[in-house]
Amino acid sequence: MRLATIDINGKEIASLIIDNKVITIEEINNIFQTEFKTDTFEILVNNQWDKLKTFYDEMLLNDSDNIIFSPTILLTDFIKIGGIGAAFINSAIIGFLNLYLLKKYKMRINGLLIAAFMTVLGFSFIGKNILNILPIYLGGYLYTRYQKISVKDVILVIMFSTALAPLVSEIMFSGIIGNNFGIAVGLLVGTLIGFIITPLSAHMIKFHDGFNLYNIGFTAGIIGTVFASVLRVMDMKISPVRIVYEQNNIAIIIMLSFLFLYLMVVGFWVNKNSGTDYKKVLKYNGRTITDFTQLLGYGVTFFNMGLMGMLSLGYVFLVGGIVNGPVLAGIFTIVGFSAFGKHPKNCIPIVLGVVLISVILGYDLSSTEIIITVLFSTTIAPIAGTYGVGIGVLAGMLHLAVVKNVGVIHGGINLYNNGFSGGIVAGFLVPIIDAFQKGGE
Amino acid sequence: MKHEIKKISKIVDELVTFFLKNDTDEIDIKIKKDEKNIIIKIVDYNTCFNKEDIDCITKLLCAQRQHEIEAYYWQLAGEIDSDSELILVGAMIDKAKVKIIDKNLCIELIRYR
Repeated sequence: MRLATIDINGKEIASLIIDNKVITIEEINNIFQTEFKTDTFEILVNNQWDKLKTFYDEMLLNDSDNIIFSPTILLTDFIKIGGIGAAFINSAIIGFLNLYLLKKYKMRINGLLIAAFMTVLGFSFIGKNILNILPIYLGGYLYTRYQKISVKDVILVIMFSTALAPLVSEIMFSGIIGNNFGIAVGLLVGTLIGFIITPLSAHMIKFHDGFNLYNIGFTAGIIGTVFASVLRVMDMKISPVRIVYEQNNIAIIIMLSFLFLYLMVVGFWVNKNSGTDYKKVLKYNGRTITDFTQLLGYGVTFFNMGLMGMLSLGYVFLVGGIVNGPVLAGIFTIVGFSAFGKHPKNCIPIVLGVVLISVILGYDLSSTEIIITVLFSTTIAPIAGTYGVGIGVLAGMLHLAVVKNVGVIHGGINLYNNGFSGGIVAGFLVPIIDAFQKGGE
Repeated sequence: MKHEIKKISKIVDELVTFFLKNDTDEIDIKIKKDEKNIIIKIVDYNTCFNKEDIDCITKLLCAQRQHEIEAYYWQLAGEIDSDSELILVGAMIDKAKVKIIDKNLCIELIRYR
């Protein structure tokens, strides 16, 4: 490890060079909430070099620990802070845990379950780890004991509700509560979230009438706003970060391509007529509940999932983007929800809207922030599916405006920020469209 | 189960909206509640639905009960009239019988308590 000064846009910034990788001191401070000087000269003058070396030995050497013990609020890319290997291991651990639970409670694999599983898997690259999701699962379990209902009834909501896992990590490891109580309070808050989210999510869906597919994103946005406000009123600062992996990795791209191709092949294997039956998928508007596994069977559903994955990956390449943690989350979520409402016909108008307004406003289409907004904006695909291309494009444009501003409200502790925004857009737009429609009883 | 009565109301709301919007102008509804079951009987008079429509309704209503869908989405039933939620109704009931008797569409839904 070496200390170096690098030039970023004319500004000299102190950095560590580790195995040909560069990490700025500013990024280290953001991730680990440390207060190292960001100027090389000041580091040396203030005798912080030895402290940095000790810190490196204790913290930076263990990739998996970085993922477990970082605050993980938006946008924390686990590939950046832990490396590709650790990020995939984290995702696999969370995936197997959820598979085990689905098996244990003998859940029937329907479209929503596929969506939940893929979403959790994707977000294991940007915010969810085994430590910050377990208190939420515990809270969900306690809710079932309290209400005397089966865990089976709420397991799905609990899987989605790990959107608020960063709140647990933030309280535990950012130091805002104090080292002695942070872990206990974090566990308690996580458990509380798991306990309250099931009744809240059922209630919140009425706001957007199922036109926002990421309903828990909207619910988690409301909960996150309340919790962030409580923390802020107690003078505890909480704000989003930006720690993003900025290189394409060919192995990830090949793996994704094979996965989506595999899904399409399995689709054909299950249903030989998947190609011709696929036209039926496009007839659905996608509004909740549109479970393709139930309506059209697993073959066509898998084919749609594979195709949507290919299209998402293709879009990222088209705009010259990077397949990093946030983008992986976006792609996996689209693939999952392609079993539960999404298809090219209802997604493309929304995507067009986001792209169009981004171009008009001069945003860089290849930046990770815009790419994930484009991918996650398909949460409001049912608006385009129900009201047509024009309204879909308008909804996409509105979505970008809203999503750019809602993250700061909850301080990045709700991972499904686009679900929050999508709920607001749908809840705002749908009654207005209804008001302008003439006739009917 | 929590909100049991409200859930029954939501199922009925959804079905009434669906039939009045898409098929008929005359409906009879009967609801019977006992210790084990809740039975909802609906008669949709002079149905205009063809065999394909009725097969589709039967398929959606006769699907397996899905408690996780119910817990998450039950408040969505009957909320809007521009789209139907028969999948949700199917996920909230255990048994369904759909028959045509004298041009009337008769549906019996059973929900275990």
